[in-house]
This record gives sequence, C-alpha cells and structure tokens, in this order.
Amino acid sequence: MESMIHDMAERLFRDHIGHGLREGAAAGQCPEALWTRIEEAGLPMALVPEEAGGFGVPAAEALGLVRIAGAHGLPLPLAETLIANAVLARAGLTLPGGRLTIAEGAALRLDRRGAAIHASGPLTLVPFARWADRIVTIAALDGVDHVLSLPVKDLTVTPAQDLAGMPRDDAGVDLALTDADAAPLPRSLGGMRGLGALARSLATAGAMETILSMTVEYANDRVQFGRPIGKFQAIQHYLATMAGETAASRAAAEMAADSYDTPAFALTVAAAKSRSGEAAETVGALAHQVHGAIGYTQEHALHHFTKRIWSWRDEFGTELDWTRELGRAALSSPRDTFWHFITDSTAQGIPA
Amino acid sequence: MTLTAFPPPPPGADYDDLRQEVRAFLAEELAGFPPEKRAESWNGFSRAFSRKLAQRGWVGMTFPREYGGHARSALERYVVSEELLAAGAPVISHWIADRQSGPLILAKGTEEQKRAIVPRIAAGELCFCIGMSEPDSGSDLAATRTVATEVEGGFRVNGTKVWTTYAHVADYMILFCRTGKSDDRHGGMSQFLIDLKATENIQISPIIDLGGEHHFNQVIFDDTFLPSDALLGEKGEGWSQVMSELAFERSGPERFLSSFALIEELIRVLRQDATEAQQAEIGRLSAHLMVLRQMSRSVAGMLNEGKNPALQAAIVKDLGALYEQDIPRLARSLVSRPAVPGGRDSYAAVLAYTELAVPSFSLRGGTREILRGIIARGLGLR
Ligand SMILES: Cc1cc2nc3c(=O)[nH]c(=O)nc-3n(C[C@H](O)[C@H](O)[C@H](O)COP(=O)(O)OP(=O)(O)OC[C@H]3O[C@@H](n4cnc5c(N)ncnc54)[C@H](O)[C@@H]3O)c2cc1C
Repeated sequence: MESMIHDMAERLFRDHIGHGLREGAAAGQCPEALWTRIEEAGLPMALVPEEAGGFGVPAAEALGLVRIAGAHGLPLPLAETLIANAVLARAGLTLPGGRLTIAEGAALRLDRRGAAIHASGPLTLVPFARWADRIVTIAALDGVDHVLSLPVKDLTVTPAQDLAGMPRDDAGVDLALTDADAAPLPRSLGGMRGLGALARSLATAGAMETILSMTVEYANDRVQFGRPIGKFQAIQHYLATMAGETAASRAAAEMAADSYDTPAFALTVAAAKSRSGEAAETVGALAHQVHGAIGYTQEHALHHFTKRIWSWRDEFGTELDWTRELGRAALSSPRDTFWHFITDSTAQGIPA
Repeated sequence: MTLTAFPPPPPGADYDDLRQEVRAFLAEELAGFPPEKRAESWNGFSRAFSRKLAQRGWVGMTFPREYGGHARSALERYVVSEELLAAGAPVISHWIADRQSGPLILAKGTEEQKRAIVPRIAAGELCFCIGMSEPDSGSDLAATRTVATEVEGGFRVNGTKVWTTYAHVADYMILFCRTGKSDDRHGGMSQFLIDLKATENIQISPIIDLGGEHHFNQVIFDDTFLPSDALLGEKGEGWSQVMSELAFERSGPERFLSSFALIEELIRVLRQDATEAQQAEIGRLSAHLMVLRQMSRSVAGMLNEGKNPALQAAIVKDLGALYEQDIPRLARSLVSRPAVPGGRDSYAAVLAYTELAVPSFSLRGGTREILRGIIARGLGLR
C-alpha cells in the first residue's frame, strides 16, 4: 500500500529510534523529544474521523502506523493514543492532546452521584500509564458502555513493567467525573480489549518483520565452517518458517484492521490476536537460535524486539482467551456448516 | 513486493450473490453425497459433475470469452473454487485444466491450440494430467531424462513419467521433457500438449496408493511420435514456462482445505457439548483457517493484477499443508473414536480416509523442503 503517512512515519522512526533510545526507555527514560516530533507530524490523530479533526485516511491505513511503530520498537504509546483519540471522538468527548493510553475497564465500578459519575476500582498493567496524561477506558453504567477519560495525575499509579521493560502500571481509580470526562459510547468499536488486541497484533507483525530481516542479515554475515551460516539448509528452513509465521501474522492483523468498525471485527480480531501470539513463540525462538550467543546479550538489538512480541501476547487477551471466544462462536453458530461460519466471519458486508 | 506482505483482497471480493448461487447448485447436485466421498476432496472424479458445473459458467471462468471462457476475475473464480472444496465436490476431472493447463495454453499456446482446446476445457469436457516427475527426477525436476528428439514432421519421445495423477482417464497430458542439450541446467527443456486418446505408443499403467486406490500412474513413452504442433510454447523454454504455472498451482484453497470434510465432522461431533479446552482448539483451528484463507485470497488478488506471486504462493502452500496435515491429530486429541476405513459412522470413515491422505499433502505440488528452500532464497539469503 502506497501511503504518505506510512512513508513519513518510516522516515521519522528510522532517523530517531536506535538501540540507545530503546535501551534508555527500558531503563525508565521517556523519550520526550521523539514524542514531540510524533505529535508535530500529527500521527496521534490518524484514526480520528475527519470531522473530529483527523486527516481522513482510511482506518486500515491509519492502523498501519501501529505496525510500523512495532517494526521500529517505538517505546511510546502511539498505538494507545491513536485508539484513545478514536474512542474519545466516537463518544463525543474532547480530544485533550498529549500522550494517552488505554485500559480495559471491566473491573471499574461506576455510580451516579448527583450530576457526576463516580468511578472506582483498579486498572491493571496499563501500558505507559506513568508517561501518559490520561487513561481512556470503557466501563458500564446501568448496562450502558461509557467512555472515561481519566487524568493520570488524579490516579494512584504503581509502576510495573513488561518483559521489554516498557511501563505497564497499575492505576487505582477513585474519582468523580463530569460529563466532560465521561460519556456513553453510542456504537461500540469493539471494546478496549478488542482494540488493544488489534494494536498488539499489528505491532507484533511489524516487529516480526524486523526480527526476520535482522536474522536474514545475520545469517548472510556470520561465517562458520568457512561459509555464511545462511548456506546451511537447516538455517534456511528456520528462516523460511519464520517468514511463513511472520506473513501469517501480518495477514491476520491486516484482516482485522480491514474490518475495524464493522461487525466482522469481533471474530477477525480474535483470529488475529491468537494467530500472531502463537507465531511469536516460533519466530522468537528461531531468531535466537540463528543468532547464537550474541543475540542473547543486552548489547545486541534483537532482544528489544523478541521481548516485545513475547510481552504483547499476554496483553488484551492471551491466545487462550481469544481462541476460546472464537471456538465458542464457531460451535454455537446457527449456520448449517462450519464453512458458512468461516466465510461469514470475514465477510465485508455482513449485517450488524 | 515484500515477501511477508499479503495485502487484503480488494473490497467487494466476497461476491456474495455468486457464492449463494454456487451453494444452491451444490446443495442440489450433492444431495445425499456421503461424507466419506466428500473427504476425497479435490481428488474426486466425475465428468458429469464437471460438465454440469461448466454449464453454469463455473469452469474456465477467467478465460477470455473468445475461447469459451467467461472473462471473470481470479477472485470470482476463487469463490467458486473454495465453495466446491468446502462441499467436497468431485472436481478433479476439470481442476488441473482449469487451474493451470488452460491458463498455460492461453499464455503460451498457438492460436490453433487455443481454439482447439481451451473452449473444451471451459465446457468441462477435458481432463488434463501433468507429466513432470520421473523415477529419477522428483524434486530435482531439472534431472528429467525423458527426451523428445526432432524428426521429420515432429518429435519422437522416449522415457518414463511417474505419479501422473489421473493419466488413465485424462484426455491430455502436458509433458515436460528434454529437447536439447544446454550448458544451463534449466536449458534445453520444453513442454508438449499430448492428446492421450489419439497418440500411439504410450503405455499407461496403474500405481496403487497406500489407501488401495488408483489415482496415479506410470506413463511410458516408447518412440512415441508427436506432431510438430504438439509443442507448447517455445522450444527450450520449458523451464521458465513451468515456473510461471507455480503461482497458480500452489496458492489456491486446495492447499489448505484438503482435510475439510474431517473438520466438518469434528465440529458436528463437538457441537453438542464442548469443554473449554475443546472450544479453544476449535478456535485455534478457526483462526488458522481464517488467516490462510485471507492469504490465499490475497494471492488471487495479486494474480488478478497480473503480478507473479510465486514466493507468496510457496508460503501459502507450506503453511496450508501444515494445517491440513494436522487435522487428524487435532481430531484425535479432541474426540476419542477409532478410525474405521469405510466406516461405521461418517466420523470414523472420514477420519480413516483423511489419516491416509495427509502424508501426500507435503509431497505433491512441491515438497515442504523444496518450498522452504524457495522461500529462503526469496528472503535474500546469499
Ligand atoms: C498424491 C501425489 C500426486 C502426484 N501427482 C503428480 C502428477 O500428477 N504429476 C507429476 O509429475 N508428479 C506428481 N506427483 C509427484 C510429486 O511432484 C513428487 O512426489 C515430488 O516432486 C517429490 O518428488 P519425489 O517423490 O521423487 O521425492 P524426492 O525428490 O526423492 O524427495 C524425497 C525427500 O527428499 C527431500 N529432498 C529432495 N531434494 C532435497 C533437497 N534439495 N533438499 C532437502 N530435501 C530434499 C524431499 O523434500 C523429500 O522429503 C505426485 C505426488 C503425490 C504424492
């Protein structure tokens, strides 16, 4: 796909993200200057409809930014901000600007107190919470999904991190919200879990493409027994297997991105998240096998990518969560045959 | 084209009206067709079925109208193909001709060849077979020994082909053989279009497969005379012609739906009450299928745009074979019921058939190891 915003993001990330920046972020430094550039480029608004201030690119293209960020190991909540803005816009809330993040709000309790809505409860392992200005989440009030925009400064944040050292913080909520920060969600976009899962599958596909090209390059360069190890058939077959798993992950993630905001999303995202999560196992293991001991060091860039794909498997639903959901849908489908379920699951025009 | 990029099929690729028409046709034609026959997947043979399908305009769909085709897109053809496979329709009689021989003749054949053959393929009348493998030339196709020597008015062919699927019933063979010497390993090869019913000195004998069935054959050419106009394409260009068929041969839904009858049986058995663990396995199976289908449709989209996605096709075939080969293991891990050839019930029969079929899935059409070598080279290994 030819895309101006993709080219712009590619250039920006290529010029400004390196091993040092990723190391620094894993050690706790938020790369502020890089975020400023990302905001100046307008990327966080890409998934917002034009009438709400976006620049009118198709959703699948905007979501492509998440794959590209994954390919560069971007240690910032771009995916989260893209999604948060889209969800806020859907609920008609103001877009506050700045760094945003997202969280599943199933454990929150909402009550009406006069004109305000009182929110309380825990949000767990929230991506980049301590570097974000707000957490956007969805929780139910009287059976109706509400979008909440929670200022991080008013929450109790307990730091934690994922395998790659990226902030995944717990946030305690005990807050009264006015209708500037809470509003019903008129039409679901797939829930925070679904949206987060979409982002993680796309990023996983991108990171795998980087892992694959690093591994091909290494196999061409590393010489043992008088020849590049890429000449050995066992190594070639590992690389071919990695390519297949990477391609499947990308196709899966793009299938889900393609059905963003359609009824097909519920099942395509389940397929995408579980398929890319499964592939992360194989791709990570084989990449390390081909790289030998050097790939097992902190000095080498590989671990930033393998640790990310391993972490992302656990977020917004694991393979087990999503395959169960998909399996339940398949087994309880009212359609005559499994085949009808499969063709319906990705159909572009199916009724809501 | 990045090797790992499989762009989603273009909007509108569902062709839902067409799909519903095909489903209605299949519901009628295959009423009472038992699951153990459906399990034969695209190996099932019925000339009558192929002709009926052709009458509906569903054979030679992508061929130009002037050659009896229907000028439809590769994606429309895809819809028909996958519906046929999912239903377990007996399609082999026209499948090879429709998938690769027809397109090859259209691309490389003479005007006479096109006029004489292609309309009959589109009518569902012709069954084709592929004469590539030999006793000493399997994966190493360039080791082909069968040779066609130029003589007055044509060629004389000598040599032996093996594993030739349905040669015993086919009307035509596309033969790959040597026509000259060359320093290049891939040089000096050509393809011929052989009318099997009208050519003398070809001896076709059965090779019985491990399931006791007669699908493939040994084909011996003993000073067989072929007229000059049997040459297909350029003399000496056989290798590149064969390579250009591969994207068609390797990317279609038959590369992951060969065990589909067993999947339907499995789901039917589990539908009543499945444990969470069983649900998760069915979910995994669904996810893989949705993704393979997406990739395969993506390749159909690339073919439609005139690209040559041979490497992407190799990826689809490698992943697809892993998938369809894994289905019996998966079924056995979820349901404790023995496989019984011929079966007491349809599950037992379909499981038995599929268990015996799956070893061939990573051999036919290019072995797993060969595909992985192709993919690795495509990645830029030096
Ligand atoms: C059901 C079925 C139908 C078929 N139908 C047809 C048909 O209609 N027409 C036709 O022409 N052929 C047909 N074939 C033949 C098929 O194309 C060959 O089986 C295939 O190309 C492999 O050749 P082979 O069997 O001689 O195995 P070999 O090439 O001898 O291979 C044996 C093993 O060695 C491996 N191997 C070989 N070379 C290498 C290498 N360089 N690196 C690593 N491993 C290697 C292979 O991957 C395989 O695992 C059919 C086969 C089957 C099973």
